[in-house]
Order: sequence, then C-alpha cells, then structure tokens
Amino acid sequence: MNIYVRSRLFRSNLINNLICFYSTSTPEVIDQNDRVLIDDSDETTARENEIEKKRNKSGLSAAHLNIMNGRRPYETPKHLSHLTVKHNRKLYGKYGSESGVNPSLCWPTKLDIQEALEYESVAFPYTIREVMESAALRKQEEKLKIQKRETDIAAKYAKLEQWKKELRDKLAKKAAEAESAKIKKERLVEEVRRHFGFTLDPRDERFQEMLAKREKEQRKLEKQAKRDAKEKMMFAKLQQKNVEIKDTPKR
Amino acid sequence: MGSRQIVEKSLTLLRSLPRISLNNIRDNPGSKKTQKRGRGQHGGDKHGSGNKGSGQRQNFMRLGYETGNNPFYLRVPQEHYYRGHHHRRQYPPLSLLTLQRIIDTNRVDVTVPIDIASIVKTGFYSFFPDQKHFGINLIDEGVDIFEAKINIEVQWASEQVIAAIERNGGVITTAYYDPHSLFLLRNPKKFFETGQAIPRRMIPPPDAIEYYTSAENRGYLADPDQISEARLKLAQKYGYKLPVIENDPKYNMLCERKDPRQIFYGLEPGWVVNLKDECILKPKDEELKRFYSL
Repeated sequence: MNIYVRSRLFRSNLINNLICFYSTSTPEVIDQNDRVLIDDSDETTARENEIEKKRNKSGLSAAHLNIMNGRRPYETPKHLSHLTVKHNRKLYGKYGSESGVNPSLCWPTKLDIQEALEYESVAFPYTIREVMESAALRKQEEKLKIQKRETDIAAKYAKLEQWKKELRDKLAKKAAEAESAKIKKERLVEEVRRHFGFTLDPRDERFQEMLAKREKEQRKLEKQAKRDAKEKMMFAKLQQKNVEIKDTPKR
Repeated sequence: MGSRQIVEKSLTLLRSLPRISLNNIRDNPGSKKTQKRGRGQHGGDKHGSGNKGSGQRQNFMRLGYETGNNPFYLRVPQEHYYRGHHHRRQYPPLSLLTLQRIIDTNRVDVTVPIDIASIVKTGFYSFFPDQKHFGINLIDEGVDIFEAKINIEVQWASEQVIAAIERNGGVITTAYYDPHSLFLLRNPKKFFETGQAIPRRMIPPPDAIEYYTSAENRGYLADPDQISEARLKLAQKYGYKLPVIENDPKYNMLCERKDPRQIFYGLEPGWVVNLKDECILKPKDEELKRFYSL
C-alpha cells in the first residue's frame, strides 16, 4: 500500500523528493496574492472568528461544513485509508490546490510504471501490426481450407455418375446371379420330386439325400462341360497352329 | 278415557312449570364450539408447509432439479449458437433517427467532432461497460431522413449508416475503446475528480482487430488512403455523389481524429484535469512522457 502521511514535515520532504521529477503548470492558482492590507492582530482575528461562529447557524459538523464550502473535510487523517495515495489524489481532484495535496501524487511512481508495463507486456503481448498479420494469416488459412474442400467435392461430383452406374450394375449382377441360382435349385427340387413320383416334404431326409446326390451330379456335369470346353479350345488353337505351320512352308 | 287423563296430567304439569325465558333455555347442541388455544402465530399450524416430508422440511431443490428425473433443461440436445455469448462484445444500438433528433434539438455541438462522451452527455444513450458493452452501434433506422454533416466516432456501424453519413458530407470513424476508457468516457467528471492522470487507450483484442483495421468499416487503425478509396467505392455502390470535403469550410473539423491512444478529444494521455482549479497539469518527467507516449 502506498502511504502518504500528510504532516508538514513529511510533505515538505516529499515535495523535495518529487519536485525534481515532476513540475506542474499551475502558476495561475498560486499567484493570487494581491497586496491588500489585512489587520491580523490577535484581537481582530479572534473577533472575526467569534462572528463567524455566531453566523454559522447550520448546526453542521465541522467536516460537513467544510465540504459544504468546498474545502477538504478535515486536515488530520481520521482513518488508515486517509493516508493512501488514492485518497490524497481524490482530495486534490475534488478540492484542487486548496486541499494542500502535492499534485505530483497524481502520476504513477516509477514502480507503478514498471508494474503497468509488465502487466501490458503480458496482457497485450503483440503489437497491432503483428495481430493484424496473424488475423490475415488465419483468414487466408480458412479460405484455403474451404477452397480445398470445394475442389475435393467437385472432383468427387464429377465421378458421381460413374460410381452410380457401377453400383447399379453390381446390384443388377448380384440379382441376376441370385435369380439363376434360385432357378437351378428349383429345377433340382423338381427333378428330385419327379424321381420319387410324389410330393415329398423338402425337409425329409430322403429328399435331402437325393438333392445332394443330384447336386453332386450336376456339379460333375458342369465340371465335365467346362473341361470339354477347355479341350475344345485347346484343340481349336492347336488346329490353328497346325494350319499356320502348314501354310508357312508353302510360301 | 285413559288418554284424556294423560293429556290433563301433562297440561297440569306444563302449567306448573315456569314460563320459558332466557334463564332457562340452552343452546342448540353443536351450535357452540369451544375455542382451542394454539401455540404460535397461526395457532401452532404448519405455516403452509404441509405435513411430513420434503415440503415440511423446506429442503428446496436446486432450480431445474426434478427429483431424479432427467431434467427438462438437459432433456433437449444442446445447441451451440449462443456458446460463449456472455463473453462476446456488445454494442448497444443508437439509431440515426435518434442522432438526428439529438442534432435537431441542439443537444450536441456539430461544429466539433462527436464521440461517445458527447452522445452520452445528451442523455439519449446509455451503456454499461461492466456488462460487456463496448460502445455505440449506430444503426440504420431513420437512414432516409438523416441529413446532418458531422464528424462522428462510433464503435460499430453498418455499410448503410456509413453511406448515409458520407452522403451528407460527413465523416464517420469506428474506434475501439477498452472498458476502462469507456468508463472514463461515460462519466468524465467522476474520473477527473479522482485526481488521476488520463490513461492511454488500449489496443483492440485480436478478434476485433480485423474490424478496426479495415477501411470498409472506416476503422480508426485503417490506412487513410484506403479509407478515401473506400469512400469513393461506397458512393459508387449506393449511387450518390461524394461531397468533396477538401473544399468544405469545415475541413479542419472533419479531418480531426483521435490518436489511437487518446481517450478524450483535446486531452492527451498523462494529463491531469482539475475541475476545481480549472487547470490541466502536464507531466514533464521524461520517463512519464515516455510511458504515456508508448
């Protein structure tokens, strides 16, 4: 806590200390001592005081009377807070140079300045230009991000029709395969039924056995057909080659 | 004969009995209720809290708590439109209509630049810096009838508002003030009475810097050349002829701007204003000067 004791001795000391740092421009306030003859003998002042006392019919306390007349309420501090710099600044702000407070108190001390600078270096670490640049950079980055996403979407959209066709073909193929398999199975079942000569429950064991047998046969047949086809192919190829071999020596 | 005898007998009995009077009647049974003496203000009642349980014990549950149910305020999924709204800067609005009224009723001096302090002084606008209010948002209500030539400084303005002011040969600037400076501008007298030196205005926060550095918003940190270009562009966009302020007799007034560190027109940071003595004290110490010119 900054403490400022308003004693005559200490104030003069303060003034001596501070006047070297801060000088103020308040000449018009100070230069008001016109040459007027004032009878300041003890008797007259005592009488004046007496008259003033009698005139004051307000019943206000001394402090309130001072405030009413635009003076600081009391000269002696009544509370610990009256010793603070803040309070003395307020006295100066409110009652002016009449308050007797040294106006150099209005400015921060060297320590205060250091603290303020330290605070500002933490609270506002970047200059306006730096902040502007970083804001511009961030904006640019966001813009690039959006652009990238848009081009990505456009590229994907261009391929969309192709992908749709592929999917549709795949589905159709799958459906056709399922259909053919179903027909095959039905045919087998029909054949088995014909073999027995009466409608047999497909869950029956005999039926199942017969079906398996038929399927096996069918598979065998298919295999055979495949092999035949392959042989045929090979044979055709060989024949082709033979023809070619025959043809070449003629030339 | 027997019944006649009985009648005679009962009649004699009745005649021998005394006449019915207040002395010998009694109340109807159940017509009177004996008063019970309760204890306490309401006769030992429960004071409206009922009998037994949570109600009697007055264990008021926290707001929104539904005794174990999934509370209503948590039942709907969260929506984040307003996330962090209590941290955002607010700019209470002032319409161009009100501004025109202020000017027409001579509540503000148009021969000098207008800022938030002079507008607050008219009593037509108030704001609370402690409630995240960051100054005037000049809105476009009354944009068609606005016809004053002014040099105004607000904290937020839309494109139409800027166009409306510049069409009339005026000048607008959007400037940022930190809350502390706004307290000073809101009530300068109160600040001057504290006997402190006028502080510096702080720089805007990072999320506001873009607004206050752009010439389109007439930001106070924008490049003046860009601003004049933007003025011309806006005039073309809205289709009005931009008055040449260089030829204006009020040119000096229209060109006046605050320093980015300045809070009051005509007063620099570091000065002490004493209203009692009607004087201004300026620091002469080099360190103080350096600090206040940072």
